[in-house]
Amino acid sequence: MQTAVSVPQEEEKPESRRRRRLPISFILGGLAILGAVIYLVYANTQANAVYYFTVSELKNCSICSSQSVRVAGVVQAGSVVHNDQQQQISFVISDGGHSLPVVYSGIVPDIFNPGITVVVEGHYTGQGPFQAQMLLAKCPSKFQAATPGP
Amino acid sequence: MYFSDIGIISLILALGFAVFTMVVATLGATRELPQLVASAKRSVLTVAFFLILASAALIASFLTHDFGVSYVAQHSNLAMPWYYTASAFYGGQEGSLLYWALMLSIFSAIFVFTAKRAPTVLVPYVMATLMGIETFLLIVLTTVSNPFVRLPVPLADGVGLNPLLMDPGMLIHPPMLLMGYMSFSVPFAFAVAAMITGKLDSEWLRSIRGWMLAAWSIQTLGLVLGAWWAYHVLGWGGYWGWDPVENAALLPWLTATAFLHSSMVQERRGMLKVWNLSLVIASFALSIFGTFEVRSGIINSVHSFAYSAIGAYFLAFLVIVIVFSIGLFIFRLPKLQPEQEFDSVISREGSFLLNNLLLVGAMFATLWGTLFPLISNAVRHETLTVGPPFYNQVDGPIFIVLILAMGIGPLLAWRHTSTRALRRNLGIPALAAAICAAVLPLLGIRDIWANIAFAVCSFSAGAILYEMWRGVRVRHRHGEPYLFALYMLFERYRQRYGGYLVHLGLVMLAVGIIGSHFFQVQQDAVLKPGQKMDVAGYKLVYFGNIDRTYPDVEILTAQLQVWHDGQLQQYIYPGRQLYARFANQPTSLISITTYGLTDLYVFLANWNGLSEATIRVFVNPLVPLVWLGGIVMLLGGIICWWPQRRKRLVSVIVPHTEKEPASERVGAGAVSGGEGALAPPSVESIIGHSDGSKAEVAPGREGTLASPPVGVLSGVPENDEEATT
Repeated sequence: MQTAVSVPQEEEKPESRRRRRLPISFILGGLAILGAVIYLVYANTQANAVYYFTVSELKNCSICSSQSVRVAGVVQAGSVVHNDQQQQISFVISDGGHSLPVVYSGIVPDIFNPGITVVVEGHYTGQGPFQAQMLLAKCPSKFQAATPGP
Repeated sequence: MYFSDIGIISLILALGFAVFTMVVATLGATRELPQLVASAKRSVLTVAFFLILASAALIASFLTHDFGVSYVAQHSNLAMPWYYTASAFYGGQEGSLLYWALMLSIFSAIFVFTAKRAPTVLVPYVMATLMGIETFLLIVLTTVSNPFVRLPVPLADGVGLNPLLMDPGMLIHPPMLLMGYMSFSVPFAFAVAAMITGKLDSEWLRSIRGWMLAAWSIQTLGLVLGAWWAYHVLGWGGYWGWDPVENAALLPWLTATAFLHSSMVQERRGMLKVWNLSLVIASFALSIFGTFEVRSGIINSVHSFAYSAIGAYFLAFLVIVIVFSIGLFIFRLPKLQPEQEFDSVISREGSFLLNNLLLVGAMFATLWGTLFPLISNAVRHETLTVGPPFYNQVDGPIFIVLILAMGIGPLLAWRHTSTRALRRNLGIPALAAAICAAVLPLLGIRDIWANIAFAVCSFSAGAILYEMWRGVRVRHRHGEPYLFALYMLFERYRQRYGGYLVHLGLVMLAVGIIGSHFFQVQQDAVLKPGQKMDVAGYKLVYFGNIDRTYPDVEILTAQLQVWHDGQLQQYIYPGRQLYARFANQPTSLISITTYGLTDLYVFLANWNGLSEATIRVFVNPLVPLVWLGGIVMLLGGIICWWPQRRKRLVSVIVPHTEKEPASERVGAGAVSGGEGALAPPSVESIIGHSDGSKAEVAPGREGTLASPPVGVLSGVPENDEEATT
């Protein structure tokens, strides 16, 4: 019958030998790869990081006309206007505090509707609407914790 | 009495038995009482029984339209077809947790039924760990996330499932991915058991590898299905968006892949024990972390799932798991010494280490990108995000180097490869890569990165196919027809050839990704009847819209002709479905037609009455290879995992023998139950996978045989990774 906490059988090597575990070539190679990966991550984070604001924070933004930023908010009912000649859509998003008019040309996702949360990425000069280049709508909440009404 | 009452009672009983199992299994192990361990085994089966009962109760509530149950009312209605109604079982928060608990109990039951294959010492602790995880899930299910909560007043009709989710892809993708996440629990349980008992030998490795292969295969399927669903339903022309939820599924897959490779180093040479344990624990921790991230709303994602208190429970569980694992780890650390040392970078071990470093590097990079909003918020008090360009530019190069390593690795020998062998083995693959690099620019492909990527893929594909060809050729010389020889190779050397198949699948996947990433063409057009649109060699002629109304849904499609190479190919009908109950939420019918290896993807963006349509067309080259590659990978994973029957002994005439205790050679513990010795004869191996190195028999033995042992004609031990070294 084997004991629960047993000594593994292949532990025959005496503990006294303290040899070098890893040849230098391994260490150098490993460091090179790690270095490359870290460099890739660092460089691309710098290049690709995009500010993520709430609507309220956007009002105080000074860099938003020169850099692309992301804003999240809920689409307000009654604010959606389709402009078919110019393939544009304009709507207003809000985070409960402030509202922000948005203008977007491009394909609108199926889920887009008043009441859903969207994330737009684009530029904002402080006047006029937010010029969105990208529109992401949140997937229907499968796990909605809402209670259904009659 | 309602079905939901049965459900609640079953959950509570399951919880009770899960706790019982933990106590009894641990007692049985520490006090050496096999009766207690047997009782624990039966208790695991009881837990599974009650969870099956609870799940059946929930499905029955759905199918009988019991809208008194809050969960049923939220996720179904009278008009839904029965298969979507039944699938709503795992469509919501509470139900998906019940599904998770159910799957865990079934896997635990499978473990109990196959417990004879696992080392006896480990069994009680594996059961205890699995039931520990089960206890956590059941506590959550019976307290904060109960699917059987009843409404004070039953509704006449339920809310129903969102139309976007009523789709065949949605029937299978979530349960597969949930099962994948869950399946990492079993290797973790084995790791915990190993740390408690100190038994980390080849028998343990064999068991844990099998379960990790299963988990990896399921997770692969879940990922591919998710990508497939996104491509066919969402309409943005792509299949992977580097969304936090997608990344959450990828992370444990990366560490699992790393483990499947580094475990071979431990199997062969008894090294990397600490590293392997860390990978198994990390895979499980990442799967829990993924669930936590997805359900807590802490990271903003387009897959929004409920923001409820449940996130806190998962975070707490994650912390407990990590602390517990690290504690055990430190306790066991003295016994985790490696048995041998690394010799040379130019070796199989070296390539596996490279593979692991790259995979773990990709995992950390992806984790960094996913958590970046939190990190930047914590450090700079500003929230920043990174999008697909970040992931593409960081993970892309890592994966290309990984594919290169994948091609070189199998050509290297254990411990050290001579340059002569290297040159001999790399010749054909390098030739393939050179041909590819020369030909593609002539065909018009100018992008330097795409060319490099394609060349690397041809290198690896060339290496794999060449190895397979050599094996077939050798067997053919001994009288087998080619195809039969190939089948026999897969039959005998499942681990090696299954691995080749997985690698081939990955190369196909990579080619598909490269094609669609670099060469996708997108064009929009607003068309009136008779107007046409030209894009990338395809011509689309628009004829008008067709509007069909059914009782529950209105389907509007645009009718288009597709012309290619001057010939009419077919009519396509991209459109939208508008459900009566979800008037503001049309779902798309995307028309995807495949011509050779290119997809023509047409999405109806907008329409005006019956005589105007705005369509967005993507021409996606090589995307079919993504799906094909995924299937091949899955197939390879299943072949690798397929347990080999214990071989019978076949007598072999040996010219001269070096009798050795063969129990060392078959040290995998495969020949348990005393099947006796296989005298390794010094007959020439008839598989020509030689890479010109010294024969390495088993951990600890330094080249005692002059020629490699035969694995072909006689019974092959289960770690039949290769006949020669």
